Parts: sequence; structure tokens; C-alpha cells
Amino acid sequence: MLKTALLTLISLAIAIGLGGYSVWYALNAQDGVGAIRIGQWTAFPDVGSLAADPYSKARVAREGVLALGRAEGLAFVAERDEAGEPLKRECAYTIEGSYPTARFWTLYAADQSLGVIGTGKPRQAALQSYEVLRQADNAVVISVGNRPAPGNWLITNGFGKMYFVLTFYDTPIASSTGLSDVTLPRILKAGCNA
Amino acid sequence: MRRLLHALILGLLGAGIVHIAVLFLVPEFSERDAWSRLAMASDLYRMTRLDAEAGGAPVVKSVDPMFYAAACRFDLADGLVRIKAPGDVPFWSASVYDRNGHNIYSFNDHNANGEKLDTVVLTPAQMIDVRRDLPEDLQGAIFVEAPIEEGIFVVRAFVPDESWKPIVSRFLEQSACELQDY
Repeated sequence: MLKTALLTLISLAIAIGLGGYSVWYALNAQDGVGAIRIGQWTAFPDVGSLAADPYSKARVAREGVLALGRAEGLAFVAERDEAGEPLKRECAYTIEGSYPTARFWTLYAADQSLGVIGTGKPRQAALQSYEVLRQADNAVVISVGNRPAPGNWLITNGFGKMYFVLTFYDTPIASSTGLSDVTLPRILKAGCNA
Repeated sequence: MRRLLHALILGLLGAGIVHIAVLFLVPEFSERDAWSRLAMASDLYRMTRLDAEAGGAPVVKSVDPMFYAAACRFDLADGLVRIKAPGDVPFWSASVYDRNGHNIYSFNDHNANGEKLDTVVLTPAQMIDVRRDLPEDLQGAIFVEAPIEEGIFVVRAFVPDESWKPIVSRFLEQSACELQDY
């Protein structure tokens, strides 16, 4: 009798413990179903729409996100550089290349929760396409780091993990057909002062 | 021993069922979703700033630092809701979300009449009523038909640089979200 009760208890503990933990783990993982990868950049065009999968629906509800609509824009997140190393706030990077068609775009350095990192200075860790200097071929070279740099400078500081968030506004690539032949800029590490 | 194995397998099967059940219940019972956060910050039909600029922590996270945003909650069971904002800003976009935070419809300033934000959100049934006799002052508005009752309307506006901050702030602060009689 006691044995049966114990076995039932084990079954229930496994079911509830493992079931609950696996949901928690899946919702905290950064990449998930429905992701589109271009180079090091990842976007979730379906997040926040009715067509989204149950995992992103649960994530939207749990984190209180109000995702950008298709007519608004599309955000890409990068967590690694071209060599596959995780991005670090103490390192300097160069982001170079051309950008797909959009009315404008913004680029900012973010922390784990994808909020902009605090710089402790009046200058924000963010840039937008109307204020950048361009090369003759319309490409943009952006220097990222805590030291001022000529040309386009994205200020960062501190230590730890960093993400880049690149958002295109009013862009044809947000519609499902436009994403096939899009190229995004590359993220190259310029050095670390760790 | 065989009974223990039996119990383990039963447990794993149960874990699968619990996983699916919890996954589908999270959106139903979440108290941290956008609607609940907005409900804590303000009332229905009240435009609330989402960015941290207005003081305090941002109400809803993941807003681009170069954007200001405001949102209001509405309930179409009370009637149609009209959202208006005066003034010119470099770029604005708007979205209608349902109770669970799914984006139902979105548009931006290039879709609007004269780049002015003037929108009416209504259910398909209300649309039929309104179409029968369209009031004069709704002629230029964008009609968003949403098959929902409770929902959230969000306006986002681009802040290209420091000098635009007061103008964009004023744009959002003067935006109105109110029940419309017809």
C-alpha cells in the first residue's frame, strides 16, 4: 500500500517538476521556433502575431512584450560576432556593410533584457540611419567601443554580455516575401581591453 | 523494479502532458502581460507613456531607445474608440493589439490621410452601423476593423535626435483616446 503511494508520488513529482521546468527552460532560451537568421542577425517576424507558435505566444504574455507590427518594422538581434564569439561590452567592434531598403533604421547596444545599455553619459548607445556617414557605395562603417572614434561611433561601456539590436522601420523586408535575399552588415571584432 | 520503471515512464508521459498544458495556460493566467502592466499604470481610455522618459521604469519593455511610445486600453463592448494626435513628427506608427498582446493591425504615417493620426477602432458589427450613416467628422479617419472586445492601441514616434524630444513628447501627450458617439 505504502509502496503504491510512493510510486504514485514519484510519477506525479516527475510529471509536474519536469513538465514545469521544461516550459520555463524553453521560454527563457533566446532563440526559438520561427527565427530567421541572416548572418549573425536573428529576427522573429511572427512574434506577437496571431500566427505565432505557442512558445512565442507564451513568451509574449510572460514578458509583456508589444511586438512591432508588419507595417511598423522588423527588429534583428545579434549576440555573436562574425567569428562566432559572444559579443562583450568590454570589446570594440566594427559593424560594416550595406543595409536593406527601409525608410530608416536604428541600431543600439542592448543588455540581456534587450533594453539599451546605460552609458552614464548624455550620449545614448544608439545610432540611426539619418545621422550616419556613408561610404561612396552607400555602405556604413560603425565603430563600437568605449573610446571615441572618427566617422560613426556607437558608444558602449561596462562589462558582460552585449547584444546589438538593428531595427528597420517601414520596410518591405517585414513582409514575408522580402526576406530571401537580404544582406545585413557584418560584425567584426576590433579588439578587447579586458 | 518493474513497477518503479512503470512509475518513471508514467511520470515522463505526465511531464509531456503538463508541459503542453502549462504552455497553453501561460497566456491565460499571466499577470505580467502588457494588458496587466498597463492596467496597473492607468485606466481604460487613457493614453499612457510606455518609455521611461515620463519618469519611472518603462511600463512595457523592449521599446527602441530612439522611440517614444504611448498606449491606451479600450473595450469595444462600450462603443467605438477614436485615437487622434495633433502635430507633425518625423515618423509615427500605430498598432492595435488584442487582450493577449497579439498584433492585430498596424499602419504608419504614410498610410494615413495627410500623415495625421486619426483612427477609429471598431468591431465588424459596429462597422456596418457606422457605414450606414457616416458622421461628417469621421470622414478622414482610418477605420480599423478588429474582431475583438478588449484591446490595446499603441502609438510609436521616432525621436531622431535630442532636439526632437519636446516635439515628440508633445505629440504623444496631446494624443487622445476616447469613446466615440455615433
